[in-house]
Amino acid sequence: MRAFGYDIDELVISHVLLALVPVLVGLVVAVPLGWWAHRSPGARRVLVPLSGALYTIPSLALIVFIPILVGTPILSPLNVGLTLVIYTVALLVRSVAEALDAVPVTVTTAAVAVGYRPTGLFLGVQLPLAVPVLTAGIRVASVSAFSLVTVGALVGVQSLGTLMTDGFQQAYPAMVAAGIIGSIVLAFVFDALWLALGRALTPWVRARTGV
Amino acid sequence: MIEFRDVGKRFADGTVGLESLSLTAREGEITVLVGPSGCGKTTSLRTVNRMVEPTSGSVLLAGKDVAEGDPALLRRGIGYVIQQAGLFPHRRVLDNVATVPVLQGLPRKEARARAAEVLERVGLDATMAQRWPAQLSGGQQQRVGVARALAGDAPVLLMDEPFSAVDPVVRVELQDELLRLQADLGKTILFVTHDIDEAIRLGDRVAVLRVGGRLAQFAPPDELLAHPADEFVSGFVGRDRGYRRLGFVPATALHLTELPTRADANGDSGVPGEWTVLLDGAERPAAWLGPDGVRHELGSVYVTEGGAEGVTAASEAAGTLRGALDAALSSPAGRGVAVDREGRFRGGVAPDDVLALLRPDPVR
Repeated sequence: MRAFGYDIDELVISHVLLALVPVLVGLVVAVPLGWWAHRSPGARRVLVPLSGALYTIPSLALIVFIPILVGTPILSPLNVGLTLVIYTVALLVRSVAEALDAVPVTVTTAAVAVGYRPTGLFLGVQLPLAVPVLTAGIRVASVSAFSLVTVGALVGVQSLGTLMTDGFQQAYPAMVAAGIIGSIVLAFVFDALWLALGRALTPWVRARTGV
Repeated sequence: MIEFRDVGKRFADGTVGLESLSLTAREGEITVLVGPSGCGKTTSLRTVNRMVEPTSGSVLLAGKDVAEGDPALLRRGIGYVIQQAGLFPHRRVLDNVATVPVLQGLPRKEARARAAEVLERVGLDATMAQRWPAQLSGGQQQRVGVARALAGDAPVLLMDEPFSAVDPVVRVELQDELLRLQADLGKTILFVTHDIDEAIRLGDRVAVLRVGGRLAQFAPPDELLAHPADEFVSGFVGRDRGYRRLGFVPATALHLTELPTRADANGDSGVPGEWTVLLDGAERPAAWLGPDGVRHELGSVYVTEGGAEGVTAASEAAGTLRGALDAALSSPAGRGVAVDREGRFRGGVAPDDVLALLRPDPVR
């Protein structure tokens, strides 16, 4: 589909990839950090405030500083991706720790008592039971990433944000509006997908009422 | 056999969980650890499967020090039932029970088949197998917890206040169920509770612990009731220990009295001026007929010998002075009705005869 002289499909695909991949990578990074914070009060005292502080860094500043820190080309989409990974990790470390805290002690005690080793306990019992709380965290991170990815347009990284910046320069409000509405719709669609995935992974949560 | 040898546990913060515990839980018996909170009963239980590592002494399981080898493998060979069941909420009942066989390396299909057998054994029907734990009542969850502990086919079971979170009626049901299972399976069970009644009901031997895990007394229940070692034990065992002890005193010396009977369950004419027992066609007592010709309920009957079908209050007290005295006291006629294990009328129980057996001390 073309509109305003742009290939919209391409912008949408780029927007989705730039937002989704960092959320997934961020999740993979946040899980072990969150587990560490759950296990060790000392680690938690450092990790949780630190991740909170990371989230307060302005996105544009990160996008500009990352090439200096890691040596990526100044206009690379990687800078936007890494920025979003940082935000995702910042949001999810606390989520993961709290999701693991929410697993009842009787359940983890029983798991240890029947002979689970630490890895099996984490993958087989704690992580599945953390899914409901974790899903809530991922949804916030996802909505945030789908909105922040538009900032990349300022440094020339293609997304629906491109319609906003270029529409602004061309004094073309309909194009700006299309960019805004498009990114909101994408954020909602993926929010719904996370919600659906979270529900699909936790059939036992709704079983209470279904006796 | 589980053997505690001078087991001590001092926690990192300096509190003493266990001073120095030495006791042996015999093969095929239920050994109960009972005591007030803070007496270290759960701590001592957990030293057996190394969820707590003792700071001194050792625990031997079938003659082998549990400290040697892999704790995860040790735990897979010991059934564990926790308070509030501790079921995995994200696994269906069947898969909860199949947990240990799966960990032991059994293919999932065989593990589930084994789980289904065990579920049946603890009295849960097949429709329960596909439910989520949250869809079960507290009592059912606890049965699943017991099933999960049995599914690994471990010879040893550790039970940590398994029935304390359910209401008293269900608790008694679960206790009966455990006694029934134990009669079949003959496991070596270490059972922790703070409830002395439960301890006396279930234990072959009962260890009373005081704060700090010091053993106050370790004895079979009747001895605990008859001869508490000190004031702490007698205080813990409670005021009516004399009456409860009757449940452990055999009534073999009790002679039954003659009672007038009529072989007509619905009859309305008895022996004039006397209480008469109405019997049905199978010689089973149906009701009392008062001297005034009015029917009365039987009250509790005294079963003269143990081994009656099903565990009921009457069969539990069967053949003991407690059953006999209860029958005598609950009868409207001032005398109890005694039956054999098939429920056939055997005679009457006079309260005085029961009391005579208690004077001065018939047991020892």
